[in-house]
Amino acid sequence: MTLNRRKFLGTGAAAASLVGLNGLPLHAQGKTLNVTAYGGVWEQAVRDCFVAPFEAKTGAKATVSLGGPAQWLAQVEASPDNPPLDVLIMSPDLAVLAAEADLMDDFTVEKLPNLAYIPQEFTDACLGKGTYFDYGVGGITYNKDVVAEPPRSFADFVDRVAAGEFIASIPSIQYGPTTVFFLWALNNALGGDVDNTDPFFEAMAKMKDNLVYWAGPNDFFNHLASGEADLGIYFDGRTWNHVDEGVDWIDWINPEEGGAITSVAIQKPKNASDLAWDYLNEVLDADNQAKFAEILNYGVTNTQVEYSEKLAARVTPLSEANLPPYAEIARVRNDWVDRWNREIGM
Amino acid sequence: MLDAVKNSARARRALLLAPALIFLAVFFVMPLADNSARSFLTEDGGFTLSRYAAFLTDRFYLGVILETLILSAAVTVISVVIAYPVAYVLVRKAGRLSGLIVFLLIAPLLTSIIMRTFGWQVLFARRGLVNQWLVTDLGLLDTPLRWLNTPGLAIAALVHVLVPFAVLSIASVLQGVDRRLEEGALVLGASRIRTFFEVTLPLTVDGIGTGAILVFMIANGSFVTLVLLGGGFQTLPLLIYQQFNTTRDFALASTMSTILLVIALACLWLQLRLLRRQGV
Repeated sequence: MTLNRRKFLGTGAAAASLVGLNGLPLHAQGKTLNVTAYGGVWEQAVRDCFVAPFEAKTGAKATVSLGGPAQWLAQVEASPDNPPLDVLIMSPDLAVLAAEADLMDDFTVEKLPNLAYIPQEFTDACLGKGTYFDYGVGGITYNKDVVAEPPRSFADFVDRVAAGEFIASIPSIQYGPTTVFFLWALNNALGGDVDNTDPFFEAMAKMKDNLVYWAGPNDFFNHLASGEADLGIYFDGRTWNHVDEGVDWIDWINPEEGGAITSVAIQKPKNASDLAWDYLNEVLDADNQAKFAEILNYGVTNTQVEYSEKLAARVTPLSEANLPPYAEIARVRNDWVDRWNREIGM
Repeated sequence: MLDAVKNSARARRALLLAPALIFLAVFFVMPLADNSARSFLTEDGGFTLSRYAAFLTDRFYLGVILETLILSAAVTVISVVIAYPVAYVLVRKAGRLSGLIVFLLIAPLLTSIIMRTFGWQVLFARRGLVNQWLVTDLGLLDTPLRWLNTPGLAIAALVHVLVPFAVLSIASVLQGVDRRLEEGALVLGASRIRTFFEVTLPLTVDGIGTGAILVFMIANGSFVTLVLLGGGFQTLPLLIYQQFNTTRDFALASTMSTILLVIALACLWLQLRLLRRQGV
């Protein structure tokens, strides 16, 4: 059982084969479109709500690549002349980066008739090279069994966690959207701005003894379910998904200052198949978006969508939440992360 | 004639090795070299050492390197200390139960590391099973302890994952120890303890070394356990992931991963050198 060079090489080859094969790009050819989706329920919703009507209308086929925005953008950056993906699901900050790098096509009503029903600010937020199609809001999710009087605002949240009344589960810096839906939102609520994050870091210093950190959304739910935390910062849609799964002890509050709108953007890489426009138009279609919203419990952006009674009570109106200045945040985000690493550590 | 046969055998060996070597070169060596090269390039393609200079003169990053090494070393020492008695019992005492012990050792590795880590959360949460026993069932404590996000639990979880590697390394070497040498020492009047420390242990240093190297290397690059259980550790793998996932500073990520690779290779070299000094 001694470890020798041969064993190292053998293990390395096996690992490299797994990683290598997994990363092979699938180039869209002919009438096949390669679109993207997150895993789990999300993937199935994309297949049912967008891929199925696209295939029915065009007769083309769409393959769905699973993963995340950072990985997809890196794939397009590596091969901009022949992108392996035709449609990208993107986080808002990466959508801005991709647009600034001129890797994406312009969105116009001529190419996408349904774009006429999407608020212009969402297309503007992607610098005209993409738009948002669904959104959630980051607020306070709490365990009703142990928190009788939950904090109604971010300021109240900070004061009561700092005082030790609650143990709070908050997103760690390892989770990509943390800088926006938590750092920016809390800082904004406490009087800071993009160029002054002192209020946020001072609040974190006050709360530090009563915080646990979640690295991914499922991790947050485990913190609440196992009793490690009493409440925390989480998304509305994900909270309602847990409720629909039978978890009757959690609830969600949009803080008085307004939570941050956390959107999902869609973009078409330059040189990707023109079939992508047909698919994107299906993504922006009111009926398809309504169906998508029902499955995922998140708000959607087409203004013609009519939610069911149940969903209408759950979806946070855009007017009651804040749209983060993603382009400005992108400029300072790395400094924020660096400061977080040095002062908070997780 | 003999030379021709030898050359032909060599050519056949080279041919058999070629697919594996080509595969390794294309999918392992080249990406690794490309990754490292990125850390030395400026945006316009020039050569720079500025990222290394900035990284290695920043006290915060030096602290991260130190923390990575301390964590790996702690996990290695604890794993080996736990693994040796287990390996000893497995080889010398278990008899027909040895198969069962090996199965029990390997069984956790068949479960996803994420599930195993979530298991730690369930056990050690503030209102988890352990606190429930201590506070409610046994009445030993008034208030539950906060175990999660502490260094101890993160180390324990890593040890739990890595001990099997150390046990199997040590057991395979222990199996090959000539029992007559130990019997000889006993016959000549050495106590069992002295026999163990002066005969058995030195003869199994090779297994301890192999296990330690394996555990150290894996702990050095561990990621999932630390992300989920925290422990307050800030290690290089966590920062590398962050550079890719959050800041998209690929050049800094390449710098960090090259430094991590060099550290790992340096530690490997050091451990092998120490082992050789022991005469193994």
